[in-house]
Amino acid sequence: MNDITALERGYRRILACYPRSFRRENEDEVLGVLLATAAEGQVRVGLDEAWDLVRGAMRMRLWPAAPRPRAVRAAVTLMLAGAAAELATMITVVVTSGAVRAAVAARYPAAAHGVMVHLAIDMAAAPLAIGMWLWLAWANGKGDDWARMISAACFGLVTLSVLAALAQDAAIFAPADLTGAAVVWAIGLVSVVLIFTPAAGRYYRPQLARQ
Amino acid sequence: MQEATFLILTALADGSQHGYGIITEVAQISGGRVRLRAGTLYTALDRLRADGLVAVAGEEIVEGRLRRYYRLTPEGTAVLAAEAERLHANAAAALARLRPGLAGGLA
Repeated sequence: MNDITALERGYRRILACYPRSFRRENEDEVLGVLLATAAEGQVRVGLDEAWDLVRGAMRMRLWPAAPRPRAVRAAVTLMLAGAAAELATMITVVVTSGAVRAAVAARYPAAAHGVMVHLAIDMAAAPLAIGMWLWLAWANGKGDDWARMISAACFGLVTLSVLAALAQDAAIFAPADLTGAAVVWAIGLVSVVLIFTPAAGRYYRPQLARQ
Repeated sequence: MQEATFLILTALADGSQHGYGIITEVAQISGGRVRLRAGTLYTALDRLRADGLVAVAGEEIVEGRLRRYYRLTPEGTAVLAAEAERLHANAAAALARLRPGLAGGLA
């Protein structure tokens, strides 16, 4: 009897790698099969069966079986494109910052300091924005409902900040800067619309239902 | 389709089975060559259920443990039939080329 509980404990430890939703529904059943297929008097989990279980857990986490609706797949792809757009913008800013600094200093000496602060804030925020896009792509792909809400909130913030920037100092926006902002905003708009379509809505579940 | 998936669907083709039953059926079908492990079986079942090829046929408690029975859906039956046809046609073509004189015996 002691042997069985030790083996069962070993199996349970490995099954802990599986997604919570799978475990809730199947752990007991899988454990039954594992114990039924265990050799007579087996005390420890075999290396090959441990590997088989871990591999299954990895596959389930990386490629969830729940089929993603086309709208969600498209939204995830767009969010990855959003991260790429942010990266491209960041590289452009880094590459051109010298030229921008010189041009601003020559033409608008009074605004130079403000523009440089603006650029510095952009540079600091860019990695954050890229990380946010990637994280939202991942979380929306999983179908977490809170990710959908956060996506909508982020899009609202981006819209407000673009509007505020346009209202305040549209004059100093370079065409490249405006184009970048417009592309990112459009990607945000389309991806948020996609994840709120009825087809996508059926895919999303409250956080506790899946993990 | 992976061989494990094909054999799981085949094991369910003539009636519902529980997890352990599928493992023994697959061993029998493959002549003892394929010994499905629990991780492989349940990862495949998870996907097959999500894809609508396999469904839960019923549950019972045996010796204090949940035992769940699985069955093919009509879609699962169709997919298995199509895959079997494809493998059969490929195998027939291979054998026909290897032994031209014996090709007729396969049909």
